[in-house]
Amino acid sequence: MFRIIKKSLKTGVVTGRYPQSAALQESIDPAAAEKAKPFRQSLVIREVDTGSCNACEMEMNALMNPVYDAERFGIRIAASPRHADALVVTGPVTVNMERALKDAYKQTPDPKIVIALGDCAITCGLFKGSYAVTGPVDRHVPVDVRIPGCPPRPAEILKALTELCGKHDRRQAAGS
Amino acid sequence: MADTESADDVLKAEFPPLVQIERTRGDFIQFLVQKELLPAVVQYLHTHPRWHSRLALLWAVDDRPMREGASLHYLFALDNARQWVVLSVELEGADRLFPSITPHLHAAQWYEREIRDMFGLIPIGHPDLRRLVRHEQWPKGTHPLQKRFPWNKVIGRQQGEYSFLHIEGEGVFEVPVGPIHAGIIEPGHFRFSVAGEPIMQLELRHFWKHRGVEKLFEQRILTDAVPLAERVSGDTTVGHSLAYCQAVETLTGLEVPRRGRFLRSLFLELERLHNHLGDVGAICNDTAYSLPHAHCGRLKEQVMQLNDRLSGSRFLRGVNRVGGVTVDLTPDCMTEIPKELGRLDEDFSELESIIAANSSLIDRLETTGVLTARTARDHAVVGVVGRASGLDYDLRRDRPFAAYGELAVKVATYHYGDVRARMRVRVDEIHESIRLIKRLCATMPAGPIAAEPGLDSKGPKTPKAGEWALSAVEGWRGEILYMVMAGENETIHRCKVRDPSFVNWPAIQWAVVGNIIPDFPLINKSFNLSYAGNDL
Ligand code: SF4
Repeated sequence: MFRIIKKSLKTGVVTGRYPQSAALQESIDPAAAEKAKPFRQSLVIREVDTGSCNACEMEMNALMNPVYDAERFGIRIAASPRHADALVVTGPVTVNMERALKDAYKQTPDPKIVIALGDCAITCGLFKGSYAVTGPVDRHVPVDVRIPGCPPRPAEILKALTELCGKHDRRQAAGS
Repeated sequence: MADTESADDVLKAEFPPLVQIERTRGDFIQFLVQKELLPAVVQYLHTHPRWHSRLALLWAVDDRPMREGASLHYLFALDNARQWVVLSVELEGADRLFPSITPHLHAAQWYEREIRDMFGLIPIGHPDLRRLVRHEQWPKGTHPLQKRFPWNKVIGRQQGEYSFLHIEGEGVFEVPVGPIHAGIIEPGHFRFSVAGEPIMQLELRHFWKHRGVEKLFEQRILTDAVPLAERVSGDTTVGHSLAYCQAVETLTGLEVPRRGRFLRSLFLELERLHNHLGDVGAICNDTAYSLPHAHCGRLKEQVMQLNDRLSGSRFLRGVNRVGGVTVDLTPDCMTEIPKELGRLDEDFSELESIIAANSSLIDRLETTGVLTARTARDHAVVGVVGRASGLDYDLRRDRPFAAYGELAVKVATYHYGDVRARMRVRVDEIHESIRLIKRLCATMPAGPIAAEPGLDSKGPKTPKAGEWALSAVEGWRGEILYMVMAGENETIHRCKVRDPSFVNWPAIQWAVVGNIIPDFPLINKSFNLSYAGNDL
């Protein structure tokens, strides 16, 4: 017990210790922001991987670590699309995942937001044209927000998500 | 090493009809085997105790237009991969049948099903000919890796249903999980048959993420496919791109300068470090012990930010190129990196003692998800999972590449094969990686970081169509293999990619038997296999 407390004290608060995201991003489309209004207090996300290389997944996971700690903005991950406000979709939509994506979309209660994460989800990236790929995502479900990058950095994802919810990363501005 | 005699003489003596193919590049021996003789040779290699052999890779090539027909190649790693033997079988013209070796060798199972799906060649005698890569909605006769199949063909749909293996009896029921899972992980389907709590059988159904990577390689030229290799499995960016580059370098006779090789090892160890750190935390988290998860997440983030500062990419994307690396490190980096990692090592050691003192955690991990050495060997399991089950393979030591010839790598092996053993292998490798990185920084030679193709007239040459090379890299998950075959004008005729996940996935089906379903996520996490690298 003592060891654990000592470790925590020694480590201190690490939240916000990351470099600022480059401001190159396109800002959120006003229509999407309007749609996101009901989710200002909390945004529950279901992530659907439709054939990514898993780097985009890893960065989504990083959002939940103590450094980025997306929960402080009310952003949480749900285990089921039925509990979600937003779908974050990665990958170029493979032939095998097409149906699963459509099912997950159908299962998400309205109103909902679809966020295409990463170049694959937006344009199919390097996998464009392949016999096994039927994407990009907006061919199958309507997309509201696009977060480009291969993969986008967690800071960029967080910036887009907080902007969508109309929040600011105060700790980040002060920290590091 | 068991024997001084080399495998080629013994094989020739045992099987006189074998024809050895003279090879100028790559250090392995190759035999042309008559189709009928194949099972006998395979069985000999597999069962004869002197070879300690393992089926490392099995791939097919549609040889058209160079030769009318397809061919199959079986790579056996003898003596912990210190010797490689390739057995090749040529099919003539429209011949689509080849003898299955699965009845003799469990490890060939998925490979042969994959070949059937991708090439339309049929393994005669295979006990399970259900589809693997192509799900049921793919129309009959779709075999994407045949040369006459256009890479960008739009494939139609048909009706069909996969038939799972059923266990019947009182109280037995099935639990389907996936393809979309609860956490932020990749898609795959698991079908459990349970009676009460314990799992009686698990059947995997993968390949949801099949993106046609191997076909996409064929649309590129040799020097320009590195970005694709990096995206085979994003968490293994360096491992895959390095394996690809090495294969092309062997093919073109390009010599990577010493500094380039050192930097490659350094980047590979950084990748191992951030992934293992994440895994140790995630294993703890799956027992609902979230404190180490938080700390490990922080440490992993620290390494990824370091990667970003060094290379401009958190995943070290773009550091490898054919001929060397693209990123050089300044002398400042060489002192900064060891300092930062030294602090991290200390930080992690403190965490380790916290983890080790938690008896309820250790109780969850011990004897959970045991993969016996026997099963691991039968499935030709590699990497962290193999080392936790007592298979003492590590290419960094056994078949050195990059700078590992000049480093003494301590290989962590445990024998219990349970979740704890897999975690301990990772913990040991974290410390070892830090030690290696420090060593690499201390002994970093000066000089160029990449060979310039085309500058030196006696240097690199364009490979002839049909020439191929193999390469192997010990990525953080385990052995990554690439086979690259050149086509006309520096194109790629065929590129076979094998992520360690492809061989390790089937083994998980055995490791879970007798465990309860709530322990499955924990076992799965301790394997931590890639879906993308498996599905290609
Ligand atoms: S966008 Fe890039 S990082 Fe994300 S899944 Fe696609 S290839 Fe991977």
